[in-house]
Amino acid sequence: MSYEPPLEKYTVSIREVAWGPAAKLKKIGGENTLPFHYFEGALPNPAGLAMEILDVRPESWSPIVLEPFEDVVSDPVRWARKCIDVYGAEALCLRLVSTDPMGMNKSAGEAAEMAKKVADAAGVPLIVWGTEAEEKDAEVLVEVAKACSGGNLLLGPVVKGNYPDVSKAALEHGHAIVAQASMDANLTKELNIALCKSFPPDRIVVDPTSSALGYGFEYTYSIIERIKQFGLFDKDKMMLMPILADVAADCWRAKEAKESKEQGILWEAITGISFLLAGANLLVVRHPESYRLIREMIMEC
Amino acid sequence: MILIGEDLNVMSKDLAQAIKNRNPDPVERCIRGQEMNGMDYLDLNVGPVKKDPVETMEWLVNLVQGITECPLCLDTTNPVAMEAGLKLCKKKPILNSASGSTEGKEKMMPLAAKYKCGLVLSVINDAGLPADADERAASIMESVAYANDLGIANEDIWVDPVLMPVGIDQRQIAAYMEFVRMLPDIVPGAKTTCGLSNLSYGVPKNLRGLLNRTFLVMIQRIGQTSAIVSGFDEELIRLVRGDLPDLVNLIHRAMDEDDVDLSGLSPKEVEYVKTTNVLMGRSLFSSSWLEV
Repeated sequence: MSYEPPLEKYTVSIREVAWGPAAKLKKIGGENTLPFHYFEGALPNPAGLAMEILDVRPESWSPIVLEPFEDVVSDPVRWARKCIDVYGAEALCLRLVSTDPMGMNKSAGEAAEMAKKVADAAGVPLIVWGTEAEEKDAEVLVEVAKACSGGNLLLGPVVKGNYPDVSKAALEHGHAIVAQASMDANLTKELNIALCKSFPPDRIVVDPTSSALGYGFEYTYSIIERIKQFGLFDKDKMMLMPILADVAADCWRAKEAKESKEQGILWEAITGISFLLAGANLLVVRHPESYRLIREMIMEC
Repeated sequence: MILIGEDLNVMSKDLAQAIKNRNPDPVERCIRGQEMNGMDYLDLNVGPVKKDPVETMEWLVNLVQGITECPLCLDTTNPVAMEAGLKLCKKKPILNSASGSTEGKEKMMPLAAKYKCGLVLSVINDAGLPADADERAASIMESVAYANDLGIANEDIWVDPVLMPVGIDQRQIAAYMEFVRMLPDIVPGAKTTCGLSNLSYGVPKNLRGLLNRTFLVMIQRIGQTSAIVSGFDEELIRLVRGDLPDLVNLIHRAMDEDDVDLSGLSPKEVEYVKTTNVLMGRSLFSSSWLEV
């Protein structure tokens, strides 16, 4: 008698989202099986890894994670180049911290200009992230979409309260988006249904919001896991988008991460790798060393 | 299906204000409306009544009994207010509610025994809400045995399996239904009830009724004997009273068949089928379930 390994057969695939400039196009998603189940199906695209940069000098970063960037943090363009040239970043995430209405409150136009400079200088896939202030983000991301028209950026976070404006601008100017619904698979689905009335589903990455090891990690882990399972097991078309886990800020806020360099790097790397195991397709990380550790792990699989 | 009207509730700002100010008019309108729509019992939900518990409950029970003959379901977490109300009831009331927690056993169950009234007994215990049907069964059997020892008969027990919002944990709905099915075997003679509106908590207001109505038809079919419902949802009342047999049959069919053909159905029928599908757990719930 021959042995048949008890493998699951999935009839659907996670949607493939391709973003970035044509020469460096990055594809994420596309798998027809659970994370790292190479024995069961095809995972054509390794997970994406974006290194985080800010448009202003970071105010509250731990010296541990500031140190590798100390010479460039005052200039986002040089910062971007250092990530790519020195630390080998394949993608970047530019946070437009300066637009925070509770902070410097810079105008959407100024921020868009900076995003354009960074995008041009970097030449790699770029996530452009607002400050999670719904209304201001809508203004800022629409301006960024225009300024970087055709640049195939990944714009976020797009939420229930601002999706019509941002998704319209993204569609007109050839960008993909990150749809964010906080820690609730039902809300993720609801936002996707709303978006997909006017926006192509294969241009959406979802962000169910994540958290750091020791700070609600298990909860966000299980939500990412469930979203992937609703898609692959239940064939729910609105749950087949690739998933983003933005671990950088949460990890480096953790008290334990700030205690020592080694611990901080591991805190971020382990959080990130764990979310890949849960089903994340794209990570945003901060420290070059945790970036390297996670990439090695991805490449070895 | 025994319907308990939920509308006299301090969650309503107007009614909370009316009770606080001892203003009878809003209370009377609420009571008369529900009575006219055929509620079998009227729930008086006064919350924890921290201030003047005895006087508040006495005022309300006397007022309501002056308006209607309908029996009452007294709903407060305050045992002092509860006892004040039970003393005054002319018809056999229901005590809403006790759980299997220490508090429920020590404070509420003895009142139900003393006043020989009905008792809503939930599956919650000191460990919280049971995770599945089996855990619900274990919890309720323990609580019912305790109530029986106090002299409360199964026939006076209204088991509340506790209905959780569909938007919080859809899997709880299947657990709820499985438990309702096993109940006649584990607590023979007892009734079932639940706070139906909790199902649609967090869902946009205009869609809540549809979820509640569909689910009530579904659980009526599998043996649910009572529910605490809105006394102003006329379609809900007609559905479970047998006035809309075609819609009821359609919901039953959608429970049995995964893919009811939607072509040829009216928009309203399509809504009921889609809602049944989502409550059967066939697709992930979102507030846009009618749009897919």
